[in-house]
Amino acid sequence: MEATREIYWNVGHAVVLPMYLLTLVALAACCYGFYLRVAVYRQAKAQDRLDNPGKRLSLMARNLFGQLKVLRVSGPGIPHGLFFWGFLTLFIGTLLVMLQADLTQPLFGLVILKGTFYKFYSLVLDLAGVIALVMLFGLTLRRFLVRPEGLRITRDDYLMHLLLTAIILTGFFAEGVRIAATELRGNPGLAEWSPVGLFVAKQFAAQDDASLKQLHTLWWWGHFLMVLGLIASIPWTKFRHLFTTPANYLFTDLRPKGSIAAIDLEEEGVEQFGAEKVADLTWKDVFDSDACTSCKRCQDRCPAFNTEKPLSPMKVVQQIGEVAFGNRDASLTETVGSDALWSCTTCRACQEICPADVEQVNKILEMRRNLVLMQGEFPGEEVMVAVNNVEVNGNPFGMAYASRGDWSDGMELRTLHEDANVDILYFVGCYASFDKRNQEVARSFVKICNAAGVRVGILGKEEKCCGEPVRKLGNEYLYQMTARENVELINGYGVKRIVTTCPHCMNTLGRDYRELGLEADVEHYTVFIDRLIREGTLAVDERRFDYTYHDSCYLGRYQDIVRQPRNILHAAGGRINEMERSEKESFCCGAGGGRILAEEKLGSRINVKRVKMAEATGAPLIVSNCPFCLTMFEDGIKTGDCEGKLQARDLAEIVAQRLQPMPVPSPEGLN
Amino acid sequence: MKILVCIKQVPDMESRFRLNGEGTWYDEADLAFRMNEYDEYAVEQAVRLKEQLGGEPEITVVSIGPDRVVEAVKKALAMGADRAVHIKDDEYYRKDPWQISSALAAHAASRHYDLVFTGMQSQDRGSAQVGVTVAELLGFACATTLVGFAYEGGTITVKRELEGGSKGIVKLRLPAVVTCQLGLNTPRYPTLPNIMKAKKKEIVVQPISELLKEAELTGTAGMYPPAKRGGGIVIEGDVNDQLDRLLGILKEKTTVLRAA
Repeated sequence: MEATREIYWNVGHAVVLPMYLLTLVALAACCYGFYLRVAVYRQAKAQDRLDNPGKRLSLMARNLFGQLKVLRVSGPGIPHGLFFWGFLTLFIGTLLVMLQADLTQPLFGLVILKGTFYKFYSLVLDLAGVIALVMLFGLTLRRFLVRPEGLRITRDDYLMHLLLTAIILTGFFAEGVRIAATELRGNPGLAEWSPVGLFVAKQFAAQDDASLKQLHTLWWWGHFLMVLGLIASIPWTKFRHLFTTPANYLFTDLRPKGSIAAIDLEEEGVEQFGAEKVADLTWKDVFDSDACTSCKRCQDRCPAFNTEKPLSPMKVVQQIGEVAFGNRDASLTETVGSDALWSCTTCRACQEICPADVEQVNKILEMRRNLVLMQGEFPGEEVMVAVNNVEVNGNPFGMAYASRGDWSDGMELRTLHEDANVDILYFVGCYASFDKRNQEVARSFVKICNAAGVRVGILGKEEKCCGEPVRKLGNEYLYQMTARENVELINGYGVKRIVTTCPHCMNTLGRDYRELGLEADVEHYTVFIDRLIREGTLAVDERRFDYTYHDSCYLGRYQDIVRQPRNILHAAGGRINEMERSEKESFCCGAGGGRILAEEKLGSRINVKRVKMAEATGAPLIVSNCPFCLTMFEDGIKTGDCEGKLQARDLAEIVAQRLQPMPVPSPEGLN
Repeated sequence: MKILVCIKQVPDMESRFRLNGEGTWYDEADLAFRMNEYDEYAVEQAVRLKEQLGGEPEITVVSIGPDRVVEAVKKALAMGADRAVHIKDDEYYRKDPWQISSALAAHAASRHYDLVFTGMQSQDRGSAQVGVTVAELLGFACATTLVGFAYEGGTITVKRELEGGSKGIVKLRLPAVVTCQLGLNTPRYPTLPNIMKAKKKEIVVQPISELLKEAELTGTAGMYPPAKRGGGIVIEGDVNDQLDRLLGILKEKTTVLRAA
């Protein structure tokens, strides 16, 4: 007997018309819901997020069908992925039925679901259904019984879990009674290709034909109507993430990580800066709130949230949505609260892990811009003083700008003003220039350059703060003022390559200064030293030491540089004890986003928390690559009672201690 | 109401100072300049008064000095002053407080200001004479070292910082000159729209020769840095030892532990 089944068995072909009419109604409800939401997105500013469509489509396809970002947190990610693939398979299976029953068969007499294909079709769909059901059950237990901290339970969650479970169960029941009434009696061999259906069928095998058909009608309609309910409810419930999250992969930010939209300060007549209301954000910022699935992965990783500060990146994103869909004229900065906005270290842990490609950091930045540029508000008076210092002296400490190069007294080093013929410009940055502890790092780096025969120059008193902390605090005006001066100066010297010992300077010069016209290549010293070692230009003694390594946010997450620093430390004889949170999952030191200039008054201290994580590895040394991190760790070791147990070092210091004389010193290189 | 705020641009005090060639003032090379701290309190208080009165008062800011002082003037305009006068004088440092006061008074004489705000002193010269002298020359009431200010119905009530931490409350009728001290207020950070607007505000430039007819009463004979004194002592070691050593030093070298 041919392996196939009668579509519309029992319910009859008369259901086709009402079925499609009802489907149309559900689809209309779905479309209408999105139509209303699109109107809300459009209150905000326009922004092109459809350039480079090929790349965008491919990103969307990979992330949606591959569930790549969802799977990165395996606990809930794998069940979600399996559920997704299971449900998707069921959906495709249903589409095949539709295709055959209402298109290919009536029009061309073509039957797809028959023979061997039908057997595998039955098997695959049954397996998909059972996988989806089991995963859904697991996720239901997680949300409603295990209740992980921070995972909220809303009306939508009840609806979604119930509806999806009921849809799968009614599907199996309808299948089971159909098999009980048909295949079990006429073609038992075929029934075995539907193992779950067969199992259900056996439970009903004793019933007579009429009652089986009655039950089938009931479950078929129940199944169908619940599916319509699902479709109709998509835009009105968290089901909307079925569309909005994949769409967010399509609308993703294709610029280099950490790119910030510069404010056009030349534009005449603009009197509004930063985001005070939803209309000051872009449509994508509102859309993000719809793409957010409240999975709280961002919140789990947020250094501010994890030290009892009033910031949850998830909440910020959702508050923007609440304002946009609720009271659109409400003040965003008041809704979110300045304490929350100032707590952000812009560490990007939220954005990096977000399975929905939500962009948390720039939203916070836009609101900070409003606080600073429109309201003159700062996280504290000490920050206002520091910002004023940057304005007057080009550094947040308020030290005399003319003493910026004093740390280099007595070193083999020139300023470009004296001699611009150098291999690299070392952009020192404020901390390595003025902070005693970090001056050691600057001196170490110059020693390394000298040992490798690299001619290195600095800008000395002509260098100014790169502007990163003030920009991240929202002071775009001051950032652009100082940045433009630096760019003009560096371009004027015809510099080809810049190396920084600060990842904040590196990100700012290498990425943000581009739109201000900086021409030189910009590198972080870890990449630079790694290359010198690999090329054999720099020889480092291998002397054993145990350490743990801290990936600074602006090197690891923002620049994806995690390998080179470890390579260098390995070459220097280091044996690494990784912290639980490392590489892209590293935990911020607490100093990013301009927080280095602010006192940490709320909650517990982020740097102490990080220092404790380092201490827990048992390593006596925490090596980092950023002046802010080093400053925070030196402080955290003292305030966190880790003195004597843990020491903080910059990578450059480790290398400088292990320098070998150059194998073949060239007279030029050593001058 | 017409308000005048007299401000000065001074070097940042963290700067590295060197004497100029004449040995009578500092060399301006390698210095970063900013608005005199006390004048910032003056500008802030003037702007707060303007806000209190619904924006009615017109605030003029005046500054004497070379071209660079325009930066400080712009900041005052960005903070909320309405217009500015730059009394241009490249040799400002050769003028004594009497001449500076005379030039300011000459500017103010015909303009019917009701209230003049200025800092209690400049951070560089520190004479603390200009405010009071301007008041005298104009015949205005005067109160110095303000740490509190209130205006109501043509009268101002101010809190002055006196010696030994005590405060004095003074009521003055307008017109008046007041000089401002640390603690009076926290100067605002100018908002970007105000910085933009400030760029379009009027800055009248006037050479000092048009205003100043007075000769100096005092002159600077010479300047020198204070002689280097012994450095501080860092006491290290066990807390109890530290305390003992500190007590020893206090007993031997100071009078603080002797019974009154």
